[in-house]
Order: sequence, then C-alpha cells, then structure tokens
Amino acid sequence: MKEQWRLLQTGFNTAFSNMAIDRAILVANSKGKVPPTVRFYGWIPPAISIGYFQSLADEVDVSACERLGVDYVRRITGGGAVFHDKELTYSIVIPEAHPAIPKNILKSYGRICNALIQGLMHLGISSTYAPINDILVNGKKISGNAQTRKERTVLQHGTILLDVDVDTMFSLLKVPDEKIKDKLIQDVKQRVTSLHHTLKKKIHFEEVAEALKFGFEEEFHVELIQGILTKEEKTLATQFEKECFSTTRWNHRR
Amino acid sequence: MRSQSIYKVPQGKLLKISVEYDEKKNKIRNIRITGDFFAYPEEAIELIETKLRNVLIEREQLQKKISSIITKYHIQFIGLNVEGLTQGILKCKP
Repeated sequence: MKEQWRLLQTGFNTAFSNMAIDRAILVANSKGKVPPTVRFYGWIPPAISIGYFQSLADEVDVSACERLGVDYVRRITGGGAVFHDKELTYSIVIPEAHPAIPKNILKSYGRICNALIQGLMHLGISSTYAPINDILVNGKKISGNAQTRKERTVLQHGTILLDVDVDTMFSLLKVPDEKIKDKLIQDVKQRVTSLHHTLKKKIHFEEVAEALKFGFEEEFHVELIQGILTKEEKTLATQFEKECFSTTRWNHRR
Repeated sequence: MRSQSIYKVPQGKLLKISVEYDEKKNKIRNIRITGDFFAYPEEAIELIETKLRNVLIEREQLQKKISSIITKYHIQFIGLNVEGLTQGILKCKP
C-alpha cells in the first residue's frame, strides 16, 4: 500500500496566519504528531513576504503597502521578497530523515520542485527546475521556492503564479537604484510568466491545486489524504501569529 | 564610519551588507548581513554578525574568521559562500 500523507486545503488567509500555519505544521510534524503534510493556500489581502535574512526597510515600501492594503511579513525561510497576489502557494512539511528527502539541501529543493513540475504537466505545461530555487516555463520564472530545516524537519514553501502584475509589485518593493527602476521592471516582465499567460486563458486556484496534488502523489509515490489542522496545530498557529508573525519586532528585526 | 555594499555573489544571490567600523583600527564595530540567500540554520547569521565584531577588515583575516565560524557551528550557505561574504564586506570600504 502507498504511504499516506496529509493534504491540507486551508483556503485564503492573511500573511500572518499563513506563515503561522506553516510553522505550526513544522512543529507538530517534528514532534511526530502529524504525518508528512502538503498544504495549498492563498493570500487575502495580497501580501509581500520577505526572506528571513532580508531587511524589511530595504526591500519593502511599507507606506505603499499600507496605502494599498497589502500586508507584509517576514518568513522563517531565506530567499527573496515575493508579492503574493494571484497565485497558489504550497508548503510541504516532512521529517529530514524521510527517505523521500535527499540529505543534500540543494538536491532536496530539486526533488520537491519535481513534484511541482509533474503537477504542471497535468495542466499541459512543460517546465524545468532552475537551481537554486526557481521553476521556469519557456525560460521564464513561474515559481519561486524556499526551504528551512528546523528540529530535524523540512519545511519548503513556494508559489505558482496564476497571474502576475509586475507594475503593482514594483510599486510595493524598493529597488537598490531608483534611476534604473524602469529598466528593472522591463527586465522582470521579460523574465517572469504565469499560468494565465502560458495557457492563454484564466485558470482557477482549485484546478491548479488538483494538478499539483497529482504531482506530489506521483513524484513521492504517496497518496494525499484530505485532512484538517489538529487542535494543537491551530493553537500553535494562533500563538505564532500573535507572538511572532504579526509583530513589529519580528517583521522589522532586520 | 558607516558604510554599505550591494554585491551579487557569482552564481549566487544578492548580498547587502551594512558595516559600522573603526577607521583608525580598520576593525568592524557592527555588521548586518542581509540579502536573498539561504543559510542553515538561519539563526547562524546573527551569530556570524556577532563573531565578526572587532575583526580586521582585511581579506585573509575575514576569510579565516568566517571559515572558522562556519566550520565550528556547521553552517551551510546556499547562494552565498565565504568568498562572497568576504568580498561584500571589503566592498563596504571606499
């Protein structure tokens, strides 16, 4: 019989709640209380997440975010700033010792990204993994990914762009040199794509989630069983949201 | 003296360093290492920042110090390396 993992569809939440839920699953899994878990989710309101090592003030135009009703949050994973709007976000939480996960961190990025690549195939899209942490369609980025390992547990989360609005994104992000901002925006427009653009039609979140579910099942030879957050995970998530992700101390710490 | 650098690590990520240093002694007073790289464990970056205080801003000294911290605390970088970090710090000086 195939190994069974848990599938969570937690819908659309705030940035603070989303990051708190991923961390809560990591803690629960590290204590052996929940099976390996794949989660699909979205963001309401739209939000910017920044990598653990980034400076909020350097990367994010906080007042523009506040004006446009966009949340901002620091992740527990490294990597870059992401504008989460029309996209599907996934996370996977699994023990580091699980045979499905290469010990080598970069190789494990590749393995998990393969699940996404398989999933995109179900939408008729051919894509490739571009180390360190991107997935490309026709040479353009459609997915960014970030992984942390804590308490012998792997958490990787990442996005699949359903649609992309580079102009809005750059109205929220800061760039090192304002003089070349216009050129930078043009460059990014050339380098980024989305499902909408690739398929030349709109695609629903649910359809993408279904395709990615198959992708994870095939890549890891498992069955994903729809589940819910445990009571303990919900309590932890509420605590992390309140004490960490929604606080100035956490978000402005660098 | 306070200074900043932005350095694209070859084959890696964008490193942004801010250094406060003693001009006479040429030593780091305070350093903040930011960017879109990955480091495992993440908290190690704060440790590296602390351990770099009072280190001479000179290529060999920096390389030696950073290497020894990384080895001692089993730190892994992705999109960043000792050479890149050293280069980023050196670039802070005019």
